[in-house]
Amino acid sequence: MMMPFSGRKDGLSVSEALPDRSLFTLVAMMSFLAALTLAGATGARALSARWAGGAAQLVTVQVPDPDQPLTPASKKEPAGPTRAEAVLADLNTLPPGSVMHRLDKEELARLLEPWLGEADNSALPLPAIIRIRLSDNAQVPNDLEQTLTAHVPGTIVEHNASWGERLKALANSLLACAGLALLTVGGIATLVTGLATRAGLSTRRDIIEILHGLGASDGYIAGRFAWRTAMLGLGGSLAGTVLAMVPLLVLFRMAAPFANISLQSDTLLLPDWQTLQNIIPTDMLVAFAALPFVAAFICWITTQSMVRLWLRRLP
Amino acid sequence: MIRLENVSWRRGKKQNTQVLSDLSFSIPQGGFRWLLGPSGAGKSSLLSLLHLETLPTEGRMLLLGKPVSKAEKRAHFVRLRQRIGMVHQDYKLIPGLSVADNVALPLRLQKRPEDEIQDEIHAILKWVGLGERLNAPAASLSGGEQQRTAIARAIIHRPGLILADEPTNALEESQAHRLLDMFAELSDMGTTMVVATHNEALIRRLERPALYLERGRLVQDEGATV
Ligand SMILES: Nc1ncnc2c1ncn2[C@@H]1O[C@H](COP(=O)(O)OP(=O)(O)O)[C@@H](O)[C@H]1O
Ligand SMILES: [Mg+2]
Repeated sequence: MMMPFSGRKDGLSVSEALPDRSLFTLVAMMSFLAALTLAGATGARALSARWAGGAAQLVTVQVPDPDQPLTPASKKEPAGPTRAEAVLADLNTLPPGSVMHRLDKEELARLLEPWLGEADNSALPLPAIIRIRLSDNAQVPNDLEQTLTAHVPGTIVEHNASWGERLKALANSLLACAGLALLTVGGIATLVTGLATRAGLSTRRDIIEILHGLGASDGYIAGRFAWRTAMLGLGGSLAGTVLAMVPLLVLFRMAAPFANISLQSDTLLLPDWQTLQNIIPTDMLVAFAALPFVAAFICWITTQSMVRLWLRRLP
Repeated sequence: MIRLENVSWRRGKKQNTQVLSDLSFSIPQGGFRWLLGPSGAGKSSLLSLLHLETLPTEGRMLLLGKPVSKAEKRAHFVRLRQRIGMVHQDYKLIPGLSVADNVALPLRLQKRPEDEIQDEIHAILKWVGLGERLNAPAASLSGGEQQRTAIARAIIHRPGLILADEPTNALEESQAHRLLDMFAELSDMGTTMVVATHNEALIRRLERPALYLERGRLVQDEGATV
């Protein structure tokens, strides 16, 4: 691999390519790891955001025997509202901005298809399913289920928030783990660069002393070494990141359906490879693009400091 | 101008081997001094001190009129070194570079324009008789050729101080004489020079004051004004 200043004829760029090549390979491997970790972190972050926002705001209410009147019709009075209507009326007291949707027969059939098949299910006593999306900051009243069951016995309220909280905590600890993993990878990169720099210093020791004696500044000598490791780091990291894209693309394609859970879609279809680029989060792509430069910077700063420190032995 | 006041230098990690003891002398700008003494007296050590390859353990030192001490910034030493030309006893050429690139180093490190550098290289290599060996790898040179390359590298940037450690021991007599004539000329033009040698014929040819070292001590300073 050529370096940007290989035109400089000062003897520092000649000979021994072996430690250099191993630095390239090691940085490539570590960038591969870092890219996978970044992808995991992005996933965890998306999850965390989803459970903090979207999914946590979803409430599902099930009303068995929805079409039965709330109070059995007697001779004196005509039948009152049905049980489903009563629940819907009660739900009107939810915080403003909430969107309510009672699944119609077709939606219900589609939801139950995996269990019941496509047979005519009209004879089955299906419950009413009401989905509610609360506005972003709204809270579900704690006593919602109590109120509803007291009024319409048998009503079941499923609120995502309670296990959403737990999922969010899980996502956050995943995120913390990813951060730790990245720090570790960065630490190893520093170490590996340090070792490569030390090898380079010891094989070029005589040349460095000669250049130093001829009036080369610390900055010049450190810069010559640092640019070399930075370029090797950039190239190696680029290779590792690109390689990491292969398993990640497969992974993201498989994960895509789970990323799209919403009120409307109940299907779990794999997306086309072509549309995949829309699914991969932008922040992950930005992180991937930044990775080689971060690696190059780690190499550069490590070599700079090490060479400058080493030069301290010369006056 | 060089001035040493009670300079001592000890070698080794613990500075426990006394090499130079209590040296005091001065050389004016443009002065020429032979540096004489038996083998092991400390001539090379004194030259490496004057070349700032190492700092005095004790005492005060002025180089090119500037103070030399551990208190100075590193950039200060870099600037000073760029104004010194040194011919090492073992030449210290970079083996992977050609003669021309070795000789060009002081100018390249000072970021001179490349066309100017090329002119200087051709002129100086012609003068030391290596005009035809321009592109030869330094590793392929004979002892005499290496020495002449080292000399060319030490003077190409017109330093204010030239230090030479046995600079003629690999040269033929005629080449040694030519070199000596040039040293005399450079000194007359204001370059301070310190030349260590064993060569009696040389000393007789160019009669200049000598510093005489023995076991790390200055036993005679012919340049001292009483
Ligand atoms: N690298 C070294 N290792 C061990 N001893 C050394 C080294 N360099 C110099 N010396 C010792 O320092 C003293 C001065 O050596 P030097 O300056 O080379 O003398 P000269 O150049 O006059 O022959 C000698 O006693 C020599 O043995
Ligand atoms: Mg010697």
